[in-house]
Formats: sequence, structure tokens, C-alpha cells
Amino acid sequence: MTRGQQFNFALKALKRDLAAGELRVLALALVVAVASVTAVGFFTDRVGRAVQRQAADVLAADLVASSGSPVNPEWIDEAKRRNLNTALHTRFPSVVINDDDESQLVAVKAITESYPLRGTLTLATLEAPDVRADLSIPAPGTAWIDPQLRDILQLSQGSLLALGAKDFVVERIITFEPDAGENVMELSPRVMININDLAEAELLIEGSRARYSLLMAGEDADVDGMSEWLSDNYATEARVQGVRDGGPQLQRALERAERFLGLASVVTVLLAGAAIALAVRHFAYRQADASAVLRTLGASRSDVISWLVIRLSLIAIIASAIGVAIGWLAQLVLADLLSTWFSLELPAAGIQPPIIGTLTAFITLAGFGLLPVIKAGQVPVMRVLQRDYSDLQTGSVITAILALLATFCVVWLLSGDAKLSAIVVLGVVAMLSVFALFGKYMIRAVRKVAGPRFRLSVAGLERRTASSVVQLSAFAMGIMALLLIAIVRVDILAAWERDLPEDAPNVFVVNIQPDQVEGFGQRLEEQGINNNGFFPMVRGRLAAHNGESIVQDDMSERDERRARREYNLTYSNELPAANDIVDGQWWSEDETGLYLSVEQEWAEEYNYQVGDTMTFKVAGVETTGTIRNLRKVDWESFQVNFFVVASPAMLAEFPQTFVSSFYLDGNFSKATSGWAREFPGIATLDIGAIVARIKTLMDRASLAVEYVFFFTLLAGTCVLLAAVQSSQGERIRESALLRALGASHKQIRHAVVSEFAILGIIAGFLAAFFATLIAWALSREVFELPFSINPSLWFFGVVGGALGISIAGYLATRRVLHTPPIVALRHSA
Amino acid sequence: MNDPAIAATSAQTAPLVATNVVKRVLGPGAKSGSAPEMTILHGVSMQANAGEAVAIVGPSGSGKSTLLGILAGLDAPTEGSVTMQGQSLGDLDEDGRAQLRATSVGFVFQSFQLLPGLSALENVMLPLELTQQENVKERALTVLDEVGLSHRASHHPLQLSGGEQQRVAVARAFVSKPALLFADEPTGNLDTATGERIAELMFDMRKNLNAALVLVTHDDDLARSCDRRLRMTDGRLSEL
Repeated sequence: MTRGQQFNFALKALKRDLAAGELRVLALALVVAVASVTAVGFFTDRVGRAVQRQAADVLAADLVASSGSPVNPEWIDEAKRRNLNTALHTRFPSVVINDDDESQLVAVKAITESYPLRGTLTLATLEAPDVRADLSIPAPGTAWIDPQLRDILQLSQGSLLALGAKDFVVERIITFEPDAGENVMELSPRVMININDLAEAELLIEGSRARYSLLMAGEDADVDGMSEWLSDNYATEARVQGVRDGGPQLQRALERAERFLGLASVVTVLLAGAAIALAVRHFAYRQADASAVLRTLGASRSDVISWLVIRLSLIAIIASAIGVAIGWLAQLVLADLLSTWFSLELPAAGIQPPIIGTLTAFITLAGFGLLPVIKAGQVPVMRVLQRDYSDLQTGSVITAILALLATFCVVWLLSGDAKLSAIVVLGVVAMLSVFALFGKYMIRAVRKVAGPRFRLSVAGLERRTASSVVQLSAFAMGIMALLLIAIVRVDILAAWERDLPEDAPNVFVVNIQPDQVEGFGQRLEEQGINNNGFFPMVRGRLAAHNGESIVQDDMSERDERRARREYNLTYSNELPAANDIVDGQWWSEDETGLYLSVEQEWAEEYNYQVGDTMTFKVAGVETTGTIRNLRKVDWESFQVNFFVVASPAMLAEFPQTFVSSFYLDGNFSKATSGWAREFPGIATLDIGAIVARIKTLMDRASLAVEYVFFFTLLAGTCVLLAAVQSSQGERIRESALLRALGASHKQIRHAVVSEFAILGIIAGFLAAFFATLIAWALSREVFELPFSINPSLWFFGVVGGALGISIAGYLATRRVLHTPPIVALRHSA
Repeated sequence: MNDPAIAATSAQTAPLVATNVVKRVLGPGAKSGSAPEMTILHGVSMQANAGEAVAIVGPSGSGKSTLLGILAGLDAPTEGSVTMQGQSLGDLDEDGRAQLRATSVGFVFQSFQLLPGLSALENVMLPLELTQQENVKERALTVLDEVGLSHRASHHPLQLSGGEQQRVAVARAFVSKPALLFADEPTGNLDTATGERIAELMFDMRKNLNAALVLVTHDDDLARSCDRRLRMTDGRLSEL
């Protein structure tokens, strides 16, 4: 037969298969696999990019390269060559003076017109601070200022402000600056000017402590390329920050969301793969007899195999098209739903998700189905004369290897991580082995304890030990995945909720002098504001580690800058809230030694350990302490946190200021007006907008989590269906026989339902056990969340498993109750 | 026999199908996982000529169906040779044997072996479709009419009685006008009256085509309708 003839014949056979419902389960499993992979792909792609953009807002760009010297023109050229939009800003501390000769330390930011590249800078006039009045860039000779500065220096619209050698007209107040939260602890009131005014104002001279930044934004690939290029060529000169290097809070939220989405989509595909594996195995069994008949009629083995393979390929193409369409529609609905949630438009859907969805279908089908189908085509023809001549052997080492290879490829395709894919494959093998082993023994154990009422059901399970164990493993895997995703999802959402409660601090006050603490505390109390305490803050430079000087002669500019960095230190006899000791011990109040507590990740990065000494230079004096412990800091808490905490004996005598944070409900400007005059020098920072943005981000990520969960649920259901269907024919025949022998509907229903219920209970038990184990490992290693055993998991696993599977089993086999036994028996002949 | 000219000449006089000292041994695991080695056929020789009907009778498990499978090229002998239309089946690979079946052989089975997903008509069309012939549907309908089932053409096997299913199977066996028909207990699943009608139908159609028939049966009456009868006992064949 020519290829064309084979194709035509296969097409005809496929039409008949579809009309006869032969391929229904396989097609459904494929559609669900492709739809879920595509929808999850579209979702993670579109929403993921939107979330990243949201994170980019906080950076005002996708990528920022900054340096202590003016931006290297080569960077700009390279960014343009890579089609990236660019903007520049230069930041430095300075002093402004008003008409009354009052001065104030400010943080100047000189910008170019396209700043910010991501996010929005919102402005208002000084006369109407509540009405947005945005401009693209400060006109030469004008300045935009922080509302605090207006209060401190009593400025109004058009006031003059001397900055360096130039007077600036105050034109706007800044109501929201997207990248203001970069370093909340060091912020003096902002003054924003046009970058072209810098020269005339003679603000930047040799040795100025200015940071020059190049902001870049564009397509992901271009941004990644630029980031790599900078790291490769200017690692010592430039500090490169991408979206992922944003504030610790955002970074963690993003990482967790991404990890969860990744996990959920891999689990969804594994489940769909299991469903396809079961369905295609079922299909192969069904085709074995037909293949033998066709070959007695003169079809060659290769013809039969070609027809089967072409039919499977056609099914995969059709299912992929339907799956992609469903995935596309699902994300359209979602995009519509999200438009009310998202302030920014979702980026357009990419071409990748449908390709990955379709590839997943083909790889899974080939990996799980090719060999069984080939074997079905090769079944000995003598089967038509002697039924028991040779049974179809689809289980073999090669089948298993191909299936595992397919699993590896699919996980790799989705995660892009070969190591992770190998771990997943090994995990699946180990888990299925345990399911099979335990399942077998549990079925035997049930037989021993089952009473006469269940004899028929247990006999059914025993008679089909091999297929019962396969089904049991599929059920257990399905239930486990659902439980796992459900637990992790709830845990993540709860952890986010905990991290960012409604009353998360949204105002920071810094630079409170020791003699202002009491008065300011009273003032807050009068205004009904509960603060989280006042924390002493001592500024110091790290001078030596274990007696060895930190600054070395042969250091790069970047390393030296890092070494000379000034740290905000605090001292306390109590472990700060939202901090946990991970190594060593906290000191007691009675101890008067010079001790230090260091944040764990910082310590790891710079290689500090418990017992090391650190010398800080504070106000020209060196003080040395011993590290007593390492702390894990919950940066998402928005509390005042420090990398280094000292014992009071070490720092209490040094010059210090205080810092406080609290939740302010209501208008920030109104609540804080007058503070600057009453408590000179204090700086108030409104991070409400940043907190709100992070909350929005988490809300969106939560929605993503919920959405992906829906598809996992669908894939899980598909596995249950496929597993039930795989033994449906056999069950129908058996039930028909029992009916022929006089069994009543009720007896058969009882036998079928209780057989599935027993399977469900065993599968649910195994699933709950493994879900707990994996959830524990994931919480600990991947999501870094506290873990607690969830008793409802066992309830839902065992009771839900028994109920769900018996209902599914009953529904799938109820046909037999309405079919005359003779028809079913004739069918079996 | 290697010379095509000689082969063509001898094919006219040679039997349509013949076995020469065929032995069939089932090794451990070939039939059931742990069964020991078992000899099913002990050096069987037989032949069937064009237009001749040969019955093979014998008790269950004596090796009748195994011999039929080997004669039809569905199975290969452990020792000995089989020729069909002058061609040694041992010289043909699986695809070659399939091609020979497609052009020259028809089958009727005890359990009908109709494809459940196909209608009666589609089942009959199948052999013609496999060999890419013309007017497939018309020809299949004609044969279906000959077996008296044209009015059930669109019905699926499960909607047909046992006798009707076997009539469809007979139509399928004859639609490609085979020179050789193999029947394995064709009336074994039918009641006596239905079985007789099927046998009559099968013999009539065979006669019209002048096809050889090799029939395996328990039914002595059916066997007596054949030109020759052979008895299989414990894997050994004797003429009755």
C-alpha cells in the first residue's frame, strides 16, 4: 500500500472509531492535556509577564545598570542596538535652601524625559495636592518635590528653591514615584530636576557621591541579553538590577508564585500524561483483535501499524486543535475577568503555549502509546483462531523506558530544567513503585478482613490484580496531586495573607533624635496611631572581619564600593519580631559582652559564621563584636529590619537616631502635616502605595494559583476517568455474567461501587501519606513556608477518594445495568 | 522450483495448499507463561486441491485449529513446510504471506470475528478496501444480498443475531473471490438449524467460485458434506 492509500484507510477507520466512540477517552485525555498546558501556558505567559511588569514598575524599568561614575556611552549604544528603550537618572544627596534661608538635606534625582520606563510617576500641583497633574519631565529650571519637603520648608506653587548654583521654581509635588521604595531607610525628601540642569547647577563635582543609572526596558529576550552583556563585560563597573533583583518582598512573592505555577503546570501535565497512558493502553488492547482480523484478511503488519499510528497522530492533531482552542478561549475569558483587576493591560498571548501544548500531546502519545500500539499491530494472527494464543503484552522494560523518556521530555519542555526533570522522573518512578507495592499488599490485606458482603468486590480486585494495581496507582497519583496542589495553594495564600496583613506598616519615620522619641511617641498616641516601637539606628562602616581589614588594595571599584558601604546597625537585648535564630543563640539581658546577630543570607553571601568577629567604625571609633547567632529575617513583613543587630553594650553609647514604622489609616498628608516642624529633622516616608502594589501583585498571583488549580483538577478527573474506563469492558462482561447467573441490579451495583470504594480508600490513604510527605519537603525546601500536618488532608484523601472514585466508577459502568446481559456476553464473544 | 517457468507449470497441477511433515512445538511461555514444551503437531502431511472440500475432524485440543492456522500462513511450523498455490510459505515473510491471503484466501471463524465498530456492509467491504479494489461498496452489497442480509447492511455486529453475524462473515470471506477458503468450526456457535443454513450457504458459494475449502469441525454431518475427511488425533492426521 502506498502512503496515500494507508492514510485514506486510516482516515476511514478513524471516522468509524469516532462514530463508534472507540477513541472517546483517549481524545478527552488529550484535549484536557493540551487545553491545560495551553491555558496554563497562556496564563503564566500573559499574567506572568504582567506580574513581572508590575514588579518592573518598582524598578521603573526592566533592567537598571548603575555606577558611581557617569553612565558609559557604550551601554547606551548597546541598549539601543538591542532595541531597548532607555532613560537616565542621576541621584545624589544635596541640600536645598528656601527663601527664608532654611536648609534641608534632600535626595536629588535628575531625570531624562522617558523616565520612568515602567510604572507611572504621578504629580500634583502644590495648590491641589489631591488632583493629578502629570508632566513628562521637569522643565529646565523647575523642580518637583516630595510633599514632606513642602511641609518642612513651607513651600508653595512657584516658590524658589536654591540647589547648588541654581535656583529652581517649585512646579509640582510628587504623589507617587514608582521606584521610591528601593531603599526605604535612607530616603531624604526627594527633589526631582531635569538632567540638563545638572551642569548649570554645578552640583556634581569630582568625588560627589552620585549614582548614575541607565534604565532599560523592552522585550524579555533583549533585556536578558543586555543583562548578560553587562555582566560579562562590566561586572566590576556596573551594578545590574533586573526585575528579579527588586526589593526582597517583591522578589520573594514573585519567586513563590512562579514556583507554584511551575509546579502546578508540571503536575497537570503529569496527570494528563497518566490519563493518556491509560487511555492509549486501553486503545491498544481494543485494537489487538481487530489487527489480527485485518491481517487474516491480508493486511501486512506494517500496514496495520501504519494505520494505528496514523490514527493516533490524527487524533493527536484534532485533540491538539480543540485543546488549543479551549485553552485560548479560557485565557480570553480570564483576560476579560482580569481586566477589572489589572490596572495595566495584559501583554498579548505568545505563540509558545499552543506549540508546547501540541508538542506535549505528541510526546506523551508517542512515549506512552507508540509501543503498545506497535505491539497491538504485531499481535500473533493465530489469536483469531485461538484466543489464548498470546495475550497483548504492553508492559515491558522498553515501554517503561519510553514512557519515562517522554515524561522527562515533557517536564523539560515545560520547566527548561534538565535536573528538575530528572528529579521529577525519578520521583514518579519511586512513587509509582511504592504505590504498586503497597497497593498490592493492601488489596491482599483487605481480602483478609472483608466480610461476605464484600466478597464479590474483593474477588474482583484480586482477579484483576495487575490492572487493579495500575488503577490504584493512577487513582493514588491523581488524588495525591490534587491534595498536594490544594494544600500548597492554601498554604501559600495563607502565608501571603500573614505576611501582608491589612494593617501592614505603610509609614516609616527615620532620623528621630533620641530627645524626640518620647514627644513623637505621644504625638502618635494623640493621633490614635499604634506604632511598632522605636528602634535605635547607628550608622557604621564595616572595617574588619576576624581582624582582617575589609578594604584591600587590589579590590575592584565595585567591591570597594560594597566594602565601604555604610550600614544601619541597631542594638537590642531582644530578638526582633519576625526574626528567627537559625544558628547560635540570642544573648540574655545579663550578658554584657559585645555581641552581634547577623542576617543569615547576608552572612552566607559574605562568608560570616557564628564565632567570627566583626569590627565596625562608628563615628570614627572602631568597635568589635563576636557573632553570637545568625537570624532569618522575614523581609515580607514590612517591619523595621536590620542586617546586623548588636548587643547594647556594643553600640548604645554611640550617636544614634531612631526609626519607627506604623500603619496609617487615612490621608497621609493630613496626618503628617506639622510633624516636620514639630520634630525637626525627622523624615517620613509613605510606603502605602508600595504596600498596595505588592498586595495587588499577590492578589494576582493568588488568582493565577487558583486558575492553575482548576486545570490540575480537570487533569486529575481525567486520570480517574481513564483509569475507570481502562477496566470498563472487563467489568461490563463480568457484571453481565453475574446477571446471567441471577444477580440482581442491587447486588451488582453494590459489588461495583464497593470495589471502587475499596480502591478509593487505599488510593486515598497512600495519596494522603505521600502528599503530606511532599508538602513537607516543598514547604521546607522550595516555598520556605512553615509546615504543619493537615488532618483534613487525610479526611479528603480517604473519604474523598472513596466517594469520588466510587461515584466515577459507578457512572462509568452503569451502562451494564441497562444493557441486557446477552448483549454484553455476545460482545465479549 | 526456483525457475519461475517451472513453478508456473507445476502450480496448475500441484495442490492448492499442502503441508509436508509439519511439526509444531510450543515452547515454554509461548502459550501460557510457565507451561512446559509441548508438541501440538507430529509431522503432519496433507493437501487440498482446487475445488476440493477437505474436512478435518477430531476432539478438542487435538491440533485441528493449529493445523488450520499453519495452512493459512497465520502461524509458522516448527519443522516441515507448507505450500500455497505452489509457493512455499516458509520463503515468504509475514507481509508476503499477508499479501497471499489478501488475494487468495477467505476465512470463516467460529466466533465470527467481525469488527464491532464497523457495520455489516463495512465489514464485508474490508477485504476489498485492503486490496484497493474498484466498486467496493457495490460488490460488497451484492455479496451481502447473496447471503440475504442487504436489508441489515447498516447494522453493527452487536445488533445482529449469531446466525446473521456468521452470514456477514461468510460474505466477507467470499467477497474477494478467494481460491481457498478456511473455516474454523463455522457452525460451532450456532444452533443446528442456523448452522445448517450457514453450511449450505458456504458450500454453495464455494461451488460457484470453484474454491478449495479446508474445514475444521466437530460436526460429523458437516464433515460428510466434504469430498474428503481427515481425523486429527493427538497431533497426528489420518484419512477417514
